[in-house]
Amino acid sequence: MGPLLWPRLLLGCFVLLLPPPGAAEFSPSLDSDFTFTLPAGRKECFYQPMRKEASLELEYQVLDGAGLDVDFHLLSPKGETLVFDERKSDGVHTVETEDGDYMFCFDNTFSTISEKVIFFELILDNMGEDGQDQEDWKKYVTGTDLLDMKLEDILESINSVKARLSKSVQIQTLLRAFEARDRNIQESNFDRVNFWSMVNLGVMVVVSALQVYMLKSLFEDKRKSRT
Amino acid sequence: MAGGGALRAAVAAVVLAAWSAHGLYFHIGETEKRCFIEEIPDETMVIGNYRTQLWDKQSESFLPSTPGLGMHVEVKDPDGKVVLSRQYGSEGRFTFTSHTPGEHQICLHSNSTRMALFAGGKLRVHLDIQVGEHTNNYPEIAAKDKLTELQLRARQLLDQVEQIQKEQNYQRYREERFRMTSESTNQRVLWWSIAQTIILILTGIWQMRHLKSFFEAKKLV
Repeated sequence: MGPLLWPRLLLGCFVLLLPPPGAAEFSPSLDSDFTFTLPAGRKECFYQPMRKEASLELEYQVLDGAGLDVDFHLLSPKGETLVFDERKSDGVHTVETEDGDYMFCFDNTFSTISEKVIFFELILDNMGEDGQDQEDWKKYVTGTDLLDMKLEDILESINSVKARLSKSVQIQTLLRAFEARDRNIQESNFDRVNFWSMVNLGVMVVVSALQVYMLKSLFEDKRKSRT
Repeated sequence: MAGGGALRAAVAAVVLAAWSAHGLYFHIGETEKRCFIEEIPDETMVIGNYRTQLWDKQSESFLPSTPGLGMHVEVKDPDGKVVLSRQYGSEGRFTFTSHTPGEHQICLHSNSTRMALFAGGKLRVHLDIQVGEHTNNYPEIAAKDKLTELQLRARQLLDQVEQIQKEQNYQRYREERFRMTSESTNQRVLWWSIAQTIILILTGIWQMRHLKSFFEAKKLV
């Protein structure tokens, strides 16, 4: 390890400053997802700093709450509205970005009583080499792999497997959001059926009792007026 | 090795700065609470990183970092029990591991009274939440277990696949609950309708009999 240490460190330093060569045409995509509750009559905004010539993909879905719809705005760093969705229950938008902070807002001001649960996912592409990279790891690994040249090929295929698995995870997150929405629909159905059936039952019993009472009272008066 | 240590620190600083530069942020009012929901399987670790900046009226910009500003982080498990409830500084990192699968709620609110000094105090919060295998620190694992790069890559793939498998198991459990609710709803619709019809018929019969006996009693028929 001794004689190889300094050249490796220098290489690592050099590589950090340059765009990653060779197999890493694979540029890492960063993504994050959040689920939050939007109270009734509120508008909540989030900001995402972006670089020039990167791309921002934003996917959102309303998971719970009355009409399952929300207003959505996406504003560029200059303040112009790029996207405006009115009362949609889900949406996907991709924009090519410039330098600056993009703002996106979820607007529930049209609803006075129901709060919404909103899920959104941000997928950033071409953001550059920031973040954990395979190049950083070269400084932390110990030992050498035998047959370094053949290993480049293996490393490349492992990279592509990782990319595919990341895509799987994204899809899984999306499916989870869909399932949560379906589940909430069904649970509200359940409550609704229970409630209205009880109401129905009560109304029927009350109405029939009322009918009987009214007819009775009709006849009582007639008898009194006759005598 | 001293050179290596400094380089390591520099790399860590670049990574941290990169994270803050690219992180999502939002604005929060003085006593406002922001809650996020994370639906996760059991035995999953969640790490949240946040960084706050205070709006400065004089310079009309956000100060880079303000000491004395605190954020209170509260995490509740699916049953409503509090898993984590702690105060952190203006920059913090909170961790918890789920023991039951389901929707965990992560709430953040500022408890700082200093914001009252700046009228219309606005706080910018950068937030990043990592779940499951994203929480693993691979450089650390490489150093601890003395792995080569290939072994480290393979380890990462294994962790990722394990997380996917856990999520899918959880999904099966949720789908089962969903199916049970649907079937129960369908059954109830049937029983309630039958019950309603029977009650309707019985009520009709009772009405007729009662009226008939009433008229007979009043000598009208």
